[in-house]
Amino acid sequence: MHNIGVQTKNAITDENPQEGFALLRRTGFSCCDFSLNAYLTNQALYGFAVNDFFDKSGRELETFFTPHKKAAEQAGVRVSQMHMPYPNYVPGASPELNEYLRCVVAPKSLAVCAFFGCPYIVVHGFKLAHHLGSEEAEWERTADFLDSLAPAAKSYGITICVENLYTSVGSHIVEGPCCDARKAAQRIDRFNEKYAAEVLGFCFDTGHANLVGIDFEPFLTTLGKRLKVLHIHDNDGVSDLHQIPFTFTRTRENLPSTDWEGFVRGLRAIGYGGVLNFETAPVLTAFPDVMKEETLGFIAGIGRYFAGELSSAPGQEKG
Amino acid sequence: MNTVVSMAGIVSILRPRQGLDDLACAGFTSLMPDFGLFASAEGMTEADYRPETMRRCYQNFRAEIGKRALAFPVAKAPFLSLTTERTDLYTRIVRLNRDCVRACEEMGCGSIIVQPLFAGIARERIWEENRAYYLTLAQACEKAETKILLPNQYREQGGHLIRGLCSDGASAAAWIDRLNEAAGGERFGFCMDSGYCNVCGQDMQAFAAALGGRLKAVILTDNDGRRDMRRLPFAGACELYSGTDWLSLIRGLRGSGFDGSLILDMRDTVQAFSPFLRPQVLALGRAVADYFAMQVGIGNALKKYSSIVLFGAGNMCRNYMKCYGTQYPPLFTCDNNEKLWGTEFCGLEVRSPEAMKCLPEGCGVFICNTYYREIEAQLRAMGVERIEYFNDEYMPSYYFDRVRREE
Repeated sequence: MHNIGVQTKNAITDENPQEGFALLRRTGFSCCDFSLNAYLTNQALYGFAVNDFFDKSGRELETFFTPHKKAAEQAGVRVSQMHMPYPNYVPGASPELNEYLRCVVAPKSLAVCAFFGCPYIVVHGFKLAHHLGSEEAEWERTADFLDSLAPAAKSYGITICVENLYTSVGSHIVEGPCCDARKAAQRIDRFNEKYAAEVLGFCFDTGHANLVGIDFEPFLTTLGKRLKVLHIHDNDGVSDLHQIPFTFTRTRENLPSTDWEGFVRGLRAIGYGGVLNFETAPVLTAFPDVMKEETLGFIAGIGRYFAGELSSAPGQEKG
Repeated sequence: MNTVVSMAGIVSILRPRQGLDDLACAGFTSLMPDFGLFASAEGMTEADYRPETMRRCYQNFRAEIGKRALAFPVAKAPFLSLTTERTDLYTRIVRLNRDCVRACEEMGCGSIIVQPLFAGIARERIWEENRAYYLTLAQACEKAETKILLPNQYREQGGHLIRGLCSDGASAAAWIDRLNEAAGGERFGFCMDSGYCNVCGQDMQAFAAALGGRLKAVILTDNDGRRDMRRLPFAGACELYSGTDWLSLIRGLRGSGFDGSLILDMRDTVQAFSPFLRPQVLALGRAVADYFAMQVGIGNALKKYSSIVLFGAGNMCRNYMKCYGTQYPPLFTCDNNEKLWGTEFCGLEVRSPEAMKCLPEGCGVFICNTYYREIEAQLRAMGVERIEYFNDEYMPSYYFDRVRREE
């Protein structure tokens, strides 16, 4: 049976991580997606603002996260994946800021990931096609960034996972980096061949895919074993809402407007055995705080539903 | 590159004369006949589609277009609604589209857009079913040069439009190659519908790149990114911006060396305007189609001249130099800002506009400033001819910053 995970943002606090991890375990999660990105937010970075969180030394970061690690272990929740702060490159920002993201934030994120014993870290590819002129040129810059991390990832035994992203044209969301499964598969293979290790993998984000009309099933089957982790969440096809799967419909027939059947078929076809991880932190602010337990329990229940649907063809999980 | 307009929403099948006259007044010389307006596999049992009525309408339409100097580079066969679940229509579709292929050839159309079969066909059977279908249609062509164009499609998921058949560029390209191989020649090509791409949030640049020379036609149309609308491009703007990624489309068409038909489909926009205003809307449509043709073939204007100079020493000049300066190096640039005279900008000497009075023969002047018309008047008053507008709205690449100068 697949493990079920959820991101730690809005569920775990620095002040009392024991309480949060116990809550996750109690509500049905055996794994979590540690939201390292909550410590240096994308809103701040797009405003060219950087806090001093990653100025901490490696030792200081370990000290900072030791209570979280212990709490997770005590609760029986495994940190199965982590989200690196993003973006890793801010167009228009100073060279110093971008250098800091590349040379300080990213390597320290890997170190934190290793400290937690977490096998996968999700990174965002650079969104530079507008400036550089093509998705290929954009990928070259992302690949250069990944190259800077790959040796460390290999030594830690961590797989860096790129995820399918979107970008905006006016108020309309369109496909961004890593939305072509065929190219992603080729690039991942080349990377792993180059480093003779599984340093690169893929994180399929259901919400982002839904926003840009990706057909889930062939996308997943094209990725195959390169798919390592998931960001499961739902939206209205218009905005990146990170809501509970099966929430949205657009017709009076009240059928889901997200292709969850295709999602299950795709995962089943490739024998996905990884964690069914939900990236649904905004749900926890949308529902009243007093309903947090029930809300998390409901999300975990959907995870169990997916697990049941997949159980006919389970695969192997790393870590 | 042909700029073509779809007759849908403009030319009434009952009384085609006014719409055809309006199109001629707007300067359109190429029309895409839409056979779906005369015959529909889904609608043939409905009263509106009585065969004898439709036949009369079609004959009247043919007679009217015969009186006009119109070209028909491409036609569109009837499409099933992309949300249909009817699976009982295939015999009728095959018969209908065979007739449409013949009608297309009779009208002198070089190509016809034919929708793939989809409803009720299992994913694993979809290629085989369509292979047989398309090859049957190719055999129905009497002219070996008639091309059948496959279009990208969407499909519906609980009211949400997501990517459907032929919406993956590489897969679509593979289909076309396999069909051409089976047909023993280049009988098949692709028609990319920008509206369908837009509702599916697709990277049109990558799509066009994957198709390459197989791309024979592009439908230019706009929507809100959610529903299948047929609006005039740029008419779907919201909060000051168009929500359609025209940059991606234009880059893709340039990159693939596109030289086919740019088909404007703006039926919803045209129908929304009062008949009083339709001539003006069509004129705007014509200008928009020409604008896209200009953008896609932006290098063509530069190739016309033995040498060029620029007017303007700001961001547009900088963008010109970044993207075209090596291939088409200007002799110099000039600017109305006298503080810049004698300085160098992006490797170009900045001169006074007076320098425009003694240009070498065959030299073109490219205005690199959005005050195009004002500057053009200034240049014409100086006796300068061979004036072109450069435009950096859709560049192959961009700088990360902008040059800022104090006024």
